[in-house]
Order: sequence, then C-alpha cells, then structure tokens
Amino acid sequence: MIFRKILINSAEAIVENKLRSALTMLGMIIGVMAVILLVSVGTGAKRYITSEFESLGTNVILVQPGKTDKKNSMGPPVSSSKGKLTMGDVEALQKNTTSLAAISGVMFGAGVVKNEFSTNNLNILGCNDEFNRIFNMVISQGNFFSKEDEDSGRRVVILGHTIKQNLFGSGNALGQLVKVNDSEHRVIGIVRPTGDKLGFNVDDMVFIPTKSALRLFNTTNLFGIRASAKSRSSLDVAVKDMTDILKERHNGEEDFTIITQVTMMESMNTILNMLTYALGAIAFISMLVGGIGIMNIMLVSVTERTREIGIRRAVGARRSDILKQFMVEAVTISVSGGLLGILASLLVTNILFIFLPGFDMRPPFWIIPPSFFMSLFTGVAFGVWPAKKAAHIQTIDALRYE
Amino acid sequence: MALIDLKNIHKHFMMGDEDIHALNNVNLTINEGELTSIVGTSGSGKSTLMNIIGLLDMPSEGQYFLDGINTTEMSDDDLSKYRNQKIGFVFQSFNLLPKASALKNVEMPMQYASAYNKNLSDEAIRKMALETLDKVGLSARINHLPNELSGGQRQRVAIARALVNNPKILLADEPTGALDSKTSDEILNLFGELNKQGVTVIIVTHENNVAARCRRILRMSDGHMSEETKGETTGENRV
Repeated sequence: MIFRKILINSAEAIVENKLRSALTMLGMIIGVMAVILLVSVGTGAKRYITSEFESLGTNVILVQPGKTDKKNSMGPPVSSSKGKLTMGDVEALQKNTTSLAAISGVMFGAGVVKNEFSTNNLNILGCNDEFNRIFNMVISQGNFFSKEDEDSGRRVVILGHTIKQNLFGSGNALGQLVKVNDSEHRVIGIVRPTGDKLGFNVDDMVFIPTKSALRLFNTTNLFGIRASAKSRSSLDVAVKDMTDILKERHNGEEDFTIITQVTMMESMNTILNMLTYALGAIAFISMLVGGIGIMNIMLVSVTERTREIGIRRAVGARRSDILKQFMVEAVTISVSGGLLGILASLLVTNILFIFLPGFDMRPPFWIIPPSFFMSLFTGVAFGVWPAKKAAHIQTIDALRYE
Repeated sequence: MALIDLKNIHKHFMMGDEDIHALNNVNLTINEGELTSIVGTSGSGKSTLMNIIGLLDMPSEGQYFLDGINTTEMSDDDLSKYRNQKIGFVFQSFNLLPKASALKNVEMPMQYASAYNKNLSDEAIRKMALETLDKVGLSARINHLPNELSGGQRQRVAIARALVNNPKILLADEPTGALDSKTSDEILNLFGELNKQGVTVIIVTHENNVAARCRRILRMSDGHMSEETKGETTGENRV
C-alpha cells in the first residue's frame, strides 16, 4: 500500500479513537514540555547569571585580602585576617603593571547620608577615579571623580539614583552639600539608574574617593582591590603580574586572593551546566514514561484490533503493510504530541515572560529540533514492538478472534 | 487447466496433547467457472480446507497449485498478493471493518492492490468501489457504517469487497449462516449471477439446501473428501 494511504488510514484510526489518542498524546505533550521547560529554566538561569556577571564589566579582576583555602573548596571562601591590602599596594600595582586598563582600591561600609530633607542608611563605597571604567558605571549628571579628587581625598560624593531622589527629589543636586556620616561632602555626580549589580543595588549607594572613605572609616586597610585587564587575552598576564607584585610587597607570602570574571564564570558555568543536565535527565525520564504510554496503548490497540488485522491480511495486506500501519499510528501520535508540546511550552514561556520580564525563560531555539526528533524517535522506538506483534498475528486466528 | 489443484493435502495440528488430523490426503481439482459447495458437519475439516484454498493457512503436507503456480513454496508476501489479486472472501460473520463506511470497506482491498498496480489512482479506486457496490444493489447506502446496515446488506458489502479486485475465485464460508431464508436466497442468487459472469465460486456450508443449488458438491467427513455428483448432468452449473 502506498505510504500516503497508510498515513490517511492511521489518521482515521486515531480520529476514531479520539479520547484514547488524546490521552496517549498527553503523555508525549507533557514529556516534550518537561524537556523544553526544564532546559529553558537551566539556560534561563545561566543566561541571567551570565548577564549579571557581564554587566559588571568585562575582564574584571578582584583582589581580596586573605587566602582562600583551596583545599576546602566547598562552602564560601573564608578569608584569614592575616593578609591586608593597603593604598600602597594599589599604587605599586598602578606603577608596575602594563596589562591593566584600570585599577582602584575599594573601601566599603555602612553609613548614613542626610540633608535637611532626608536621612538614608546605606552602603558607602570608596573608590578612585578609575573605578567607573572597571564596572561600566555611567554618570548621568555631573562627573565621576577626577584624579585630584582621589589624590587629595576631597570631600565629594557621587549619588546613586534613588538616593538622589530621596535627598533632592527632582531638583538639582550638583554642587549641593550632603552629610556623609556627619562630614559634609559636595555632590559632583549622579549615577544613571542601574539596578542590581551582583547583589548590590547601585541606585541605593553613594560613592566617595577611597582616601576620603579610609578617613571616614578610620582605617588604612582596604576592603579590596578592583581592576580590569586591557583585554580578555591579557587577563592571565595581568593576574600573574599582580600576584608577583603583591607577593613581593607581602614578604613573599600569598596572603590575598585574586578572582577574575573568567574563573567566576567558569565555576558558575560548571554548576549551571550540571543543573541543566540534571534537569534534562529528569525531563528524559518523563519522555520515557510518555513513550511507554504509547507502547502500552499501541499494544492494547493491536489486541483490540486483532480481527481488523485478520481482515486486512485476508484481503491482501502484507506483513509490512500492517507493520507500517501501526508504526505510522504510533509515530503520528508521538509526533503530534511532540509538536503540541513544543507549541505549549513556547506559549507558557512567552506568557511567563510577559509577567516576569526579569527572568527570561523562553526556550533557546536549539532545543526545539532535538525535542521534535526525540518525540519522533520515541514513537519509533516504542511503536516498533507493538507493530511487529501486529504484523505477525496469524491471519486465521485473527479472523476468528472475538 | 485447473484453476485449483490440490495434491495429497494433509493438515494436522496439535490441540493440547491431541494430534488433530483435519485433512487427510485430499485431492481436488476445480476448474475456472465452476460453482462448487463443500459440505460437512462441524469439525469435518471443511473450514480448514477452505482456509488452505484461500491461502489463509498452509497444508502440513502436499502441494496446492493455484492458477498453475505452486503456492506451498510461496513467500508470505506472495501469498498476500495472491489473496489480494485472485481470491475474494465472504465470511459468515461478514468481517467488515466496524468503523469504516460501506464504501471504505470496499475500497480497502484496492488500496492494498495499489502496491502492485501503481496506476490505481484514488479516483479509480473510488469509481470501482462505487460500481461494485452498485452491482450488489447497495449504491444507496455507501456511506453507512456496517452497524447501520441489515445482515443482508452487510453481506452484500462483504461480497462487493470480495469482488472489487476482480478475483478469479470467490470463497464463501457459511455466507448465509447469519441470514434469514429470504435474504439467504437473495445472496445465493447473487452468487449464481456472479458465477454466470465467470467467477469461480466455492461455498462452504452445512446447509443441504444451500449445497443443493450448486452443481458440484464436495462432502468432508473426518478429514476425508468425497464427491457427490447429482444425477441430472446438465453440463451447467445450477443456481
């Protein structure tokens, strides 16, 4: 029999058993949806975290005081109190490296910023005039720190967007005085609304020169050093240079930890890939269950239609015709289920995206063809046994079957 | 040349521990255009014989030549082809596809025939099915499902299905067993007409009045076959 006719026959058989076909298809729909949605969650999470990292600025290098115990890789990096980073370290790095594009010592602490209208408890970040280049900070009004601001530790401040609104509303803030922990600072710039950058809301922060911050918090020890390499390819050289210089200054002891965006991304990616694979494996199980559902129904269908098989064989159907008929039926069910599953998951993720634009869970395109072929493959794999069974039923027995 | 030529056919199968000898050295030739009945009590082997003639079953021993070809050496696919092209079946229980209309039921054998005849288009199939249904007097009920038809009508659909590929042999297994006497008469008349048009008809029955309408009567008894020829040898098949 011509293949097209087998297709029509199978379609008719599926329509004749609407409810059963729909329920069988449902197994496949859920299987394919599970695959697509879970992979989408995995890749969505990965995309979200990657973009968070990348929004920090590329080629970023972080230096933290203290050595992270590498043997104990589980759990958070624990710093020993032994190592200290100072402005001297920053200056030495500035002078002796050629691979860095920008470097800044940072001081970080909680504080109060107020004027006559508003009092804000917030995070104060001390940084130098190069800091904005490391983290791609954009100033919407006024300027970032100048080298003179940093060198002389001027009492100037740059406000996050929300803080500016709190203190001055929509009025002009540039040139105004605000109290940062009771010491008066002049506002010289406003940061463009930025939102979260790796856990810190930039809009809720203020920035002052590092030297001013050290004075404010009455310390000589930096919170850390932030730098950026000139390019991705010079990142390794930059890390090596920095390690050598800092080690020399710290009596040959490596009492600091250098983290790059690359190493952060690598460890993050390892975790996220594991997550995606784990989700994929779970989804695969649901696909398997869908396939077994198809096999189950096809076996029932073969038994139920034994007499039909006998009739068809009696009027001249070959074994291969019967085999094809049942195979095509199984594959039609699984593929339509697969396509519906793909459509449903696209629909679900796009609707979710409308309500949750922050977390884009729309499936990556590359998952669509494999899910389609997986549903096809499942139909073939789980349809072949029932179809073979159907093809090898003895005609005279089948004709007598009640 | 004989259309059907059975030579020393034996058929035995195991039923539990018992070895059933359903056919015991059956020899038979049936020529083209004959109207033959096979009679016998239940268990006499007449259905087994019909299944073998219809290529639904294979003999344990012996040879069966159909249209000059030894069918006992055929592959399963060739047997399917022969069933499709040379044989039409009519069963006691009609054996129609319950969810397909009369027309679809009649079209089905031709769909399998299209594997051997690539020129058989959908239109040609439809046309031939309609013609054949008209021939059995059912052109008004082509879109009815089997359960919307009377027993006689169902059997007519089955006959149309058997005829649609222009087979040489029409094999009927108790074709009137499920029908009342009036309808039986009509069906038997139809067989008679078809026989006159040249189709070789073999009717398996246990009803003597059905057998009486055939010129040639083969009696099966415990796997043995004997021939009963009627006195009046008109040289023609009676209906």
